Amino acid sequence: MPVTAGTGETLEYHRAPLPVRDELVAAHQRAWERLRGPGEWWTGTMRVAIAKETRAAPDCALCEARKAALSPCAVTGTHTAATDLPEVLIELLHRTRTDSGRLTRQVYDDALAGGLSDSEYVEAIGVMATVIAIDTFCDAMGIARHELPAPAPGDPRRRRPAGAKDGLAWVPTVAPEDVTEAEAGMYDGLAAVNIHRALSLVPAEVEGFFDLDAVQYLPDAVLRDFGTEYRSLTHAQIEFLAGRVSAINQCFY
Amino acid sequence: MLLRGSGEHTGDDYDLTAIVAEGVADGGVAAGAALAAYADAFFLDGSGFAAARERLEREVGKEASVDAAAVLAIFNAVVRIADATGIPLEETKARMSVDIRDALGLEG
Repeated sequence: MPVTAGTGETLEYHRAPLPVRDELVAAHQRAWERLRGPGEWWTGTMRVAIAKETRAAPDCALCEARKAALSPCAVTGTHTAATDLPEVLIELLHRTRTDSGRLTRQVYDDALAGGLSDSEYVEAIGVMATVIAIDTFCDAMGIARHELPAPAPGDPRRRRPAGAKDGLAWVPTVAPEDVTEAEAGMYDGLAAVNIHRALSLVPAEVEGFFDLDAVQYLPDAVLRDFGTEYRSLTHAQIEFLAGRVSAINQCFY
Repeated sequence: MLLRGSGEHTGDDYDLTAIVAEGVADGGVAAGAALAAYADAFFLDGSGFAAARERLEREVGKEASVDAAAVLAIFNAVVRIADATGIPLEETKARMSVDIRDALGLEG
């Protein structure tokens, strides 16, 4: 997909063929600003590189061959990478971008054995999901993807929630009752259901991704407010489309 | 599933199997066939996507077409979070949706 010309510092939809809601533009701008800055475990440079590699994965010959194989593990080789990210991270990003329905616990274990920390793993998935949400929106609108932002300087904050525990998912997660002052607000406006907890080892990724989710889909608080329509699509139309997309992606969460 | 909840609220009896039907059907949802065709074309048939998008815009309008792009995009992202973290469906949701999941032939 083409990308827009420009510095990558400003994300806008002035040239979109259809009018984009102001709150969508603002949410995408916030996401792009988060993307370029240091996270909890990755620098801005690494986060933008993760975004770049996420974009490159669909063009990887190894991923294409694995996708076509009965088992992805049956095909070996080297990824066609767009960055100099560590191979363990490239493997994670490419597998998740191109064939997430066949990820297993082994992929997570291999990533940790390959040198990623659990927190780095979760933050990488959060960055990937953010980029996919915005890139896919552009693709679906028939407009060029945004140029990736220039990385902002700074060191990762390196804060791990004290209440993170194993057991719910492959990755450690934070139950609502285990949230401490340090990550207070992580679940504000959210029901803290499992999908919200999935990224909770890196609270900023929960806040960032579900900031997008509330605008692209619906805020959690109004999901069941069937008496009021909040979008130009009805609740039923939104859920029907969401269900179809999830079925195509073999996501039965 | 929220589609069932929406139907119960409005008194509409949506056919949830339309979500996973081969070929497109509306399931009783306004412009449902156009929405399904839009998703199918995006993920499965890139060459037909422009036509599917134009059809959707004709049926739901410009603003709703933008909303559709936004919904399609966020659900294309959230699946990666669920798959890569191994997060399970809540037991209560699994129990509540067992009939639907059986009807749709879904596992997990």
